[in-house]
Amino acid sequence: MNGAMVAAPGGVQQAITDLLRRGLDEKVLNAVLVPARVPAGDSFAWLLVRDSSVLEETQPLPPVMSVQGARAISRYARGGVSGKVAAVLRPCEVRATVELAKLRQVELDGLLLVSMDCPGALPLKTYLDDPQQGDADFEKLLSGDETVAREVCKTCHLFSRPVSDLHFATLGADNGQASIVAGSEQGRLLLDTLRIAEKSSLDAWERAVAERQEQRKQARTQAQAAFRQDIAGPDKLLETLSQCLNCHVCRSVCPICYCRQCYFESQALLMPPDNTLARARRKGGMRLPTDTLLFHLGRMAHMSLSCVSCGACEDACPSSIPVARMFSLVGDATQKQFDYTAGRSVTEPLPTITYKEDELSDLVAPYFETYSGRETAS
Amino acid sequence: MTNGFEPKILYILCSWCGTGGAETASAHGLRYPENVRTYRVNCTGSLPAVHVLRALVEGADGVAVSGCHPGDCHYESGNYHARRRLANLKTILGTLGLGDDRLWFRFVAHGEGRRFVDTAAEFSDHITQMGPNPLTARRDT
Repeated sequence: MNGAMVAAPGGVQQAITDLLRRGLDEKVLNAVLVPARVPAGDSFAWLLVRDSSVLEETQPLPPVMSVQGARAISRYARGGVSGKVAAVLRPCEVRATVELAKLRQVELDGLLLVSMDCPGALPLKTYLDDPQQGDADFEKLLSGDETVAREVCKTCHLFSRPVSDLHFATLGADNGQASIVAGSEQGRLLLDTLRIAEKSSLDAWERAVAERQEQRKQARTQAQAAFRQDIAGPDKLLETLSQCLNCHVCRSVCPICYCRQCYFESQALLMPPDNTLARARRKGGMRLPTDTLLFHLGRMAHMSLSCVSCGACEDACPSSIPVARMFSLVGDATQKQFDYTAGRSVTEPLPTITYKEDELSDLVAPYFETYSGRETAS
Repeated sequence: MTNGFEPKILYILCSWCGTGGAETASAHGLRYPENVRTYRVNCTGSLPAVHVLRALVEGADGVAVSGCHPGDCHYESGNYHARRRLANLKTILGTLGLGDDRLWFRFVAHGEGRRFVDTAAEFSDHITQMGPNPLTARRDT
């Protein structure tokens, strides 16, 4: 497999910006969607750029994930885009975009997804507390010091090679260089149009990616086993969730939770006072607002099959509940039972809309013969 | 089988096969434990996951679901979708250590009255053995 070697003297961000600039200047791209530092300088936001001079303000690989990229795209490209628009995304943002495309919240036609080997992101709260320190921490992260990264990033094994059209490969490359890998015909066409030849070998990169992937997979298995010990069981789980404010911000920032009317925000949970009183009587007392555990379990039932472990929920949680680790633990398990990986493929159907006639035989309680239990005795 | 605990059981039945099984049982004078409360839904495929979760969090010691056998669904594929949805729920409950054994899924056809009462009794005994669902007593759910 070959890629296009490009110079990246100022790091991969520079290389991405250069490509976007050429795309805009040569009118191959109509616009690009890319993160940029906010004018106040202390955070990042998505910017839909039409004029290549604005690209100077952008930062394709920001230190934090202030808004999940798929969420930004779905706000813009739900009904499709006109012309050709490139979106620069971290791999987990690409995977969420793919899931949203399957959920018909993003129209992929005309979108050109550009990704990069992701070093991880910093926790949003620590960055917002001290952006200068955050920028310094991100430099550390870029040079391979993972201790400053978010917990979900430390155990992310899908940090490279998403199903994007163009991917910037930096792992295993010499300093000041990067390779562009075309992941689709569309991506290859763009490189052709911009007269960028795919001539350099990607062997070193593929080896480096495979190696890190293996490390991360092991780290993930270990971390999840340890985390499960901490939260599994009614007592530990409710202890983990005890600080939940019922603000539902984990749902608001989740790229997958697209429903305009969420069940848990609807009238369905507003019971008549007598009903709540009956519940309080049964238990001796009732925490209000009700249904904290039901909200989290219900959300898992609704979206864990599409969870991409991006960590946006945990970043946003005001009570610092390890929501993302909880959801990726459950998401990995639910996806595994259907041999599904969220965002792995655009054509693979969502597990909830398809079925096999012969499957899940373990799930169905077996019935062999007449049960001679209590009903005959009574 | 008794350990002094009578569980609250919710038995969710589709309106075509599961409920039919209950009707056949009554036509034959078969009885099932009185702590099993049946709950009718149009199709197991239309059963929202949240309703099952809500029962398990707010009061039921166990939830059983019965719908048409594979190939028998009145809406062609509702039972297959239900099977996937319940597999998903069981995985969530199991991963979080909330007792995936408190949720059962078994196909029951319209004519299978015996199978219906057997399932109700067997599940009730199974939950009696498991003991009370710890979540239902918690005030902080």
